[in-house]
Amino acid sequence: MPYSVPYVDFGPTTRSSKVELTTAFERVLDSGKFVLGSEVKNFEKVFAAYCETEYAAGVANGTCSLHIVFRALGIGSGDEIITAPNSFIATAAAIAQVGATPVFVDTDFDFNIDPSLIEDAITPRTKAIVPVHLTGRVAKMNEINSIAKKHGLLVVEDSAQSVGATYHGKKAGSFGDAASFSFHPLKNLHAFGDAGIITSNRIEVINELNVIKNHGLTDRSTCSQWGLNCRLDEMQAAFLSVQLPQLDDWTEQRRKIAHYYNDALSKVVVTPLEENHEKHVYQTYVLRSERRDELKEFLNRNGVEAIIHYPVPIHLQPAAGYLNYKQGDFPIVETLAKEILSLPLYPGMPREFQDQVVSLILKFFGSK
Amino acid sequence: MPEQFSDHSKFFELWRPVLESGEFTLGPFVEKFEKRFASYIGSKYCIATNNGTDALILSLRALGIGPGDEVITPCNSFYATSGAIVAVGAKPVFTDVDDRYQIDVLEIESLITEKTKAILPVHWAGASPDMSLLKKIGEKHNLKIIEDACMAIGGKVNGKSPGSFSDIAAYSMHPLKSLNVAGDGGMVVTDNKDLYQWMRKYRNHGMSHRDVIDFWGANMRIQPLQAVVADYFLDHVDSFVKVRNENANYLDNLLSNLDPLVKSPPRIQQNLETFSLYMLLVQSRDELLAYLLSNGVEAKVHYPIPLHLQPASKEMGLNSRLLPVAEQQAKELITIPIHQYINKSHMDLVSELIHKFYKDEV
Repeated sequence: MPYSVPYVDFGPTTRSSKVELTTAFERVLDSGKFVLGSEVKNFEKVFAAYCETEYAAGVANGTCSLHIVFRALGIGSGDEIITAPNSFIATAAAIAQVGATPVFVDTDFDFNIDPSLIEDAITPRTKAIVPVHLTGRVAKMNEINSIAKKHGLLVVEDSAQSVGATYHGKKAGSFGDAASFSFHPLKNLHAFGDAGIITSNRIEVINELNVIKNHGLTDRSTCSQWGLNCRLDEMQAAFLSVQLPQLDDWTEQRRKIAHYYNDALSKVVVTPLEENHEKHVYQTYVLRSERRDELKEFLNRNGVEAIIHYPVPIHLQPAAGYLNYKQGDFPIVETLAKEILSLPLYPGMPREFQDQVVSLILKFFGSK
Repeated sequence: MPEQFSDHSKFFELWRPVLESGEFTLGPFVEKFEKRFASYIGSKYCIATNNGTDALILSLRALGIGPGDEVITPCNSFYATSGAIVAVGAKPVFTDVDDRYQIDVLEIESLITEKTKAILPVHWAGASPDMSLLKKIGEKHNLKIIEDACMAIGGKVNGKSPGSFSDIAAYSMHPLKSLNVAGDGGMVVTDNKDLYQWMRKYRNHGMSHRDVIDFWGANMRIQPLQAVVADYFLDHVDSFVKVRNENANYLDNLLSNLDPLVKSPPRIQQNLETFSLYMLLVQSRDELLAYLLSNGVEAKVHYPIPLHLQPASKEMGLNSRLLPVAEQQAKELITIPIHQYINKSHMDLVSELIHKFYKDEV
């Protein structure tokens, strides 16, 4: 269904850097080098610096990135990993891919894992905590890190939705043993296709990742372990290098729109929370309403592409059936799943579109 | 091969509709390529993936191959073939090879155990093993066949495409393949509708629908930007393969008088090789390699250490059998570039250099 106010439009951000993007294309085409070259190396450097971490390893997407991080950290069959069930499916699927078991813990109303519930979920098989910085807001990393330290657990940040977000002044991706990022088209920093990256301050982890992602090769003729192909394309790395310098500006545009939505809508819906010690990057603007389903239908019918991220939490999906969770196990996540709704929000979104969204929502609530 | 992408404006025109539509995740550009490629191979269905390794993994998973299973495969392929078998938790069982560098089909039956689930033959270098004999063995022992046709797009075995002899076949479009893209790309073909529908979900996180995840999947999606490049080159692959064959024949003839110092493998007349790799067995291989490199010929070795002798195999105990033909070939193989941007004068030079090398040696 074509929407008059679409959820996203890549036009504004692409058009503004058309010249630089074209130059990047040409550079890669001329080089004839399309796999693991200077574009990837360069982007890894600048992205690590952006996240205030020492190293980064470019990968094919934010799903295989989690998979190979777990592998590089020695997580596998028999291990348990604590995470929240309201993330995108990839977080839990990557845990399953290495043969480990996801162990879910409820969230708080900031949509992120509730640290006060983590210790009760720890068993002798627990290897790691994977906090997801959902919608662009960093999880409570001080508490999570101290729990991890106390119990000797690894921490892997799933930062797919939070590039550029900060928590007490520190960037998402700089808190754990490693962090996974996605540059899927719907992310704040996006490639023109699938892409991802892993950040870490641990050189041995990054070295291991670079081997695993390239068929386990330590050099052209030596396969030290059976690996995968989880490489970041030179082409996408070149585009990302053009995009990255603009990210902070785009984030400011997102925050401006989000704050406008907050001011306009806080009396009729629960607007997303943000505290003084953090910078929320609003990858998704998620409101809560008890009349969510009607509101969504009303907006969609009136041309606004509002979406739910996600109506059925992971623990209630067919894929997770064997874990034997049931309705009622995670009351906050389950409540959120019934109430959340994402509004269109993107850099360059015309003010008229924002106004249309706001006035429709006010109309919906005013008319009852 | 920068020549391949030297006409920038052509590729911008291919990419423009993708960029303007914002269809960066599957979508119509991918679907168009999948339909055309399936038709090109003569298969019903095609699933485009991010690369050939993912295509192999997807194929193995679709057939339910996993922990406890064994898969028979040749020991001289690229690391991804056995890497994919291990990635799904199964065990590669390596065979030796024949004088055309292909899986030794006659050895397969002796390697079958009650754990064997499939045979994963490789159309290595763009040539092919005896596919009808392989099929017979598969049927006789109730084993699935997965073809690694990564190097064989555009080839023919008795008039049929590599990848059309099996339950399921995987291809790669890495830059060094006969059909290639500007980065990584790959695909799976099958005639089986159930496998196709399962793979469509698995490739995209196991989703049957945006909000319903049937099983844990992965992200194996091809980039639409690469799918349009693939779609474009699909119309050219036959002519690329034709030129490679002309080059190969030309070089075969120029070097024929150096036998047995330089040997090219037997060529099967009813088949059409793609010559993804043009490989010879040569004496004093390391010295010849160094000599060619120092004279500007980008020769390579595919590969000096076969899979069963790699550290990765030793760790898993996969190196227990001696595979003498492959081990000897590994000492003598050399790959000479003969792709479609190489012309006769390049090959005359290569031939001169090789002749000079052996003249000076002897």
